[in-house]
Amino acid sequence: MIIRSEGLCKSFKRLVKDEKGKKGATLQEEFYAVDHVSLQAGGGEIVGILGPNGAGKTTLLRMLGCLMQPQSGRVIISDDEGREISDPVEIKKHIGYLSGNTRLYQRLSARELMHTIADIYGMDEKEQNERIEEISKVLDLSDFIDNRIERLSTGQTQRVSIARCLVHSPSVYIFDEPTLGLDILSSESIIDFMMGERDRGRTVLYSTHYMEEAQYLCDRILMMYKGRIVAEGTPSELMEKTETKNLRETFRKMIEEEI
Amino acid sequence: MNRRILISLYKKEILDILRDKKTILMMIVVPLILYPLLFFGAMYLTSSLINSDTQRSYIIGYDEYSETDGVISFFREKAPDHDYKLAYYKGDVSGLEEGLADVFISRSSLEGKPSYEIAYKASETSSQTAAGIAEKLLTEYREKLRSEEFKKLGLDESEFMDPISFEYKDMSSNEENAGYLLGYIVPFLMITSILMGALYPAIDATAGEKERGTLETLLTLPVRNMELIGAKFAATSTVAVAAAVLNMISMSLMGAYFYSTVSAAADSEPIRLISYLPAVLIMLLCVVVFAMFASAVCLSACIFAKSFKEAQNYTTPVMLVFMICGMAGMIPSLELNGTTALIPVVNIALLISSLFKLHFEISLIALVLLSNVAYSLLAIVLMTRVFSSEQILFGDGAGGMKLLEGRKNMKPGQIPGIGDCVLLLSLLLLIILFAGSLLIVRFGSWGLIAEQFLIFFATSFYAWYIKADPKKLFMIRRPRLAAVIGGVIAWIGSYLIVQVMGYAIEQLFPEAFASQQNELVSIWGDDPMWLLILSSALIPAICEEWAFRGFLLGSLKNRYKKHTAIILCGLIFGLFHLSPMQILLVSVFGVVMAVVAYESGSIFPTMLMHFLNNLSAVLISKYRDVLIEKYDWAEDVPLYAVFIMAALGLLFTALGLMLVIKKGRAHQDKADCIE
Repeated sequence: MIIRSEGLCKSFKRLVKDEKGKKGATLQEEFYAVDHVSLQAGGGEIVGILGPNGAGKTTLLRMLGCLMQPQSGRVIISDDEGREISDPVEIKKHIGYLSGNTRLYQRLSARELMHTIADIYGMDEKEQNERIEEISKVLDLSDFIDNRIERLSTGQTQRVSIARCLVHSPSVYIFDEPTLGLDILSSESIIDFMMGERDRGRTVLYSTHYMEEAQYLCDRILMMYKGRIVAEGTPSELMEKTETKNLRETFRKMIEEEI
Repeated sequence: MNRRILISLYKKEILDILRDKKTILMMIVVPLILYPLLFFGAMYLTSSLINSDTQRSYIIGYDEYSETDGVISFFREKAPDHDYKLAYYKGDVSGLEEGLADVFISRSSLEGKPSYEIAYKASETSSQTAAGIAEKLLTEYREKLRSEEFKKLGLDESEFMDPISFEYKDMSSNEENAGYLLGYIVPFLMITSILMGALYPAIDATAGEKERGTLETLLTLPVRNMELIGAKFAATSTVAVAAAVLNMISMSLMGAYFYSTVSAAADSEPIRLISYLPAVLIMLLCVVVFAMFASAVCLSACIFAKSFKEAQNYTTPVMLVFMICGMAGMIPSLELNGTTALIPVVNIALLISSLFKLHFEISLIALVLLSNVAYSLLAIVLMTRVFSSEQILFGDGAGGMKLLEGRKNMKPGQIPGIGDCVLLLSLLLLIILFAGSLLIVRFGSWGLIAEQFLIFFATSFYAWYIKADPKKLFMIRRPRLAAVIGGVIAWIGSYLIVQVMGYAIEQLFPEAFASQQNELVSIWGDDPMWLLILSSALIPAICEEWAFRGFLLGSLKNRYKKHTAIILCGLIFGLFHLSPMQILLVSVFGVVMAVVAYESGSIFPTMLMHFLNNLSAVLISKYRDVLIEKYDWAEDVPLYAVFIMAALGLLFTALGLMLVIKKGRAHQDKADCIE
């Protein structure tokens, strides 16, 4: 499965200071959060999307996950036989999307949640039970799978979150800062999960602010700034290009050059 | 729409709602505990009040004249016959203020026949009761004196005083009497309980999901808007119905208890409860339909909110409107008819009220039920449109109202947003409802002109304030001749369609239709023709087009797709005519005009159409009688003529619009090239 985007654009309005106007005057200005972004990912790789706050990472990932409609441009998924899918609802069937904003229904148990989601994906009862059993084993949910999510710890909740986007065995994962605010153990379990899925031939697109993590994990990195992709390559390529020793310095140098 | 997805989402919503303690509290505890508590509390309070009232003694003050007249001694004599105690206080002043007496009896004129004044304080219950006792005793005293006089004269008092006699006989059955009382209070309780049942789940399912961040999770799933909204709507309606049914059960238990205690005390004929069965069954239907309506309204209001708190702010006015409309059953002169059956909330209140009076008019019942379903569906369709708007999902909610910001912050040439449209429309509504009505009542045709100018100025002021580009927003642009001709042809067509539709409505609701005609003619009075044309045709054509096809359409087409913008513009134009009979007719005309304005890119063809339309209405209303007489216009139009008219109407409309669209496109392209 390959996911690709062609010239994705999204603009928002924001208030800026009016230089010509009176003191304190503001103007409404349109700006591009994502500005003609074309990318392609697929076939068992982890693609990291890096960039400072406000670079447009979340907006880009939301459009790729079809949560948001692009103003122009489109998202396409093509399967192994080369068939192209462009209907957002159909695309969603192949995507597992996870972000800090995708919270869980607190009053349901993990099992109920997964059953509901599996229902929506059109899986039959037997298929559902098998899949949930499998996921529960992989992510070690069995101790708390029937508890309401509101009673779980942060780490347990995070594991349920991953379980949630696994239910339909997607071939593309889109993770928006999945390790933000997690302790070492929890974030390690997510990193392990991503690596495991890559080895299974799945594609992971993910954004993060942790440079060490990205350097260790990503096969390819897209550097975003002001809605555009300003650099692309493997971590070592990028480090070579900027003559830096680690990704943290690479990041700093690239952004400084852009400014 | 995928049924499987809908069902699984629905199950999730219901599970989520039922596991929420607050919902359970609102749904079960309130009706099942609060009603009995309130009921028994009220009973206890009244009975204790009555007891304390009968047990206490009242102080009757009097002046020396009433004592010497013998009034007071009569009072003393009679007091043991009654179940209250009286104490007496003699004073020169009433002593009411000081609390020395509850009532004060004094002789008001010393000459002529004795006349007394009962001084009391209406603001105090004990004083009121005491005044009642005093009045009763004085009446008895008067009768006693009278019969003494008759006896002295040797006349038969009863023959002299009552040459004739009469008595009342209540022909309504016990069931009807009880139903009258039920019809008074049940609609209000019903509407409130359904609203309360729908409100909380509606907030929880929309703003609550947004606030808790589960909405984004939901959006990652392959679910279409229609399925999402459909499931939320179905779940909210289910909870509202459940809440209403629980309320009904609780109320009927209370009613049954009350009835059994009362009927045990009074030996009146027992009420046959079975006669209410049809009413209760239809009421259950009403409950379902109204729960749908209330859910749709609550969801629509909450969908704009980002948080629980914001949603509560939006639903407060909804609650007030519902509760006030719910009291419609208590207004004696308001009855269910063709017009009131179309007013949301009011129609349900009136229907339930009429059901309990054992009136069953099938056509009206159907109309109420159908209109509620139609309103609910309309709200849902609009919601699915709104829900896909990312501004509402990820943005800052409903969109700002620019009028609330300083003018210096405005960006020149901007297009008003949805918030601006809502604000301007509310302003226009206020102008029409209050200023307009007052002006028209006071100044007739001139008032109409003044109202139209107010509409024009309010719209222009808003556009000026936000520094909109007037040429662009109001589409001030020289139209092509073809667009003008097309507009006129489309008007002829839509005029015919509207006539046919009007005819159909007239057949359905003759009374309501007739009253509308008279209203218009009464405003005009004896004004000269030129003034009528000026006030009712020319000026409205300019000013209303300025606001609706100008400001409104200009803003809507910037936000929505073409069809949505045109239909919304037409519907809002219809709604602004504030009369249920006209909404549909005017909306059709509004949509046609919106198409012409949109396609021609100019406001002038629709101004001409609007003028022609109002002009023909003025002429026909004014010369209706003459025309009927001269040309022998048949009051009963044959059915085939109606069909021919409808066909011609559709033909002309299509022809006109084709002309506008084809030529209009060419014109726009050319204009774009020049730019």
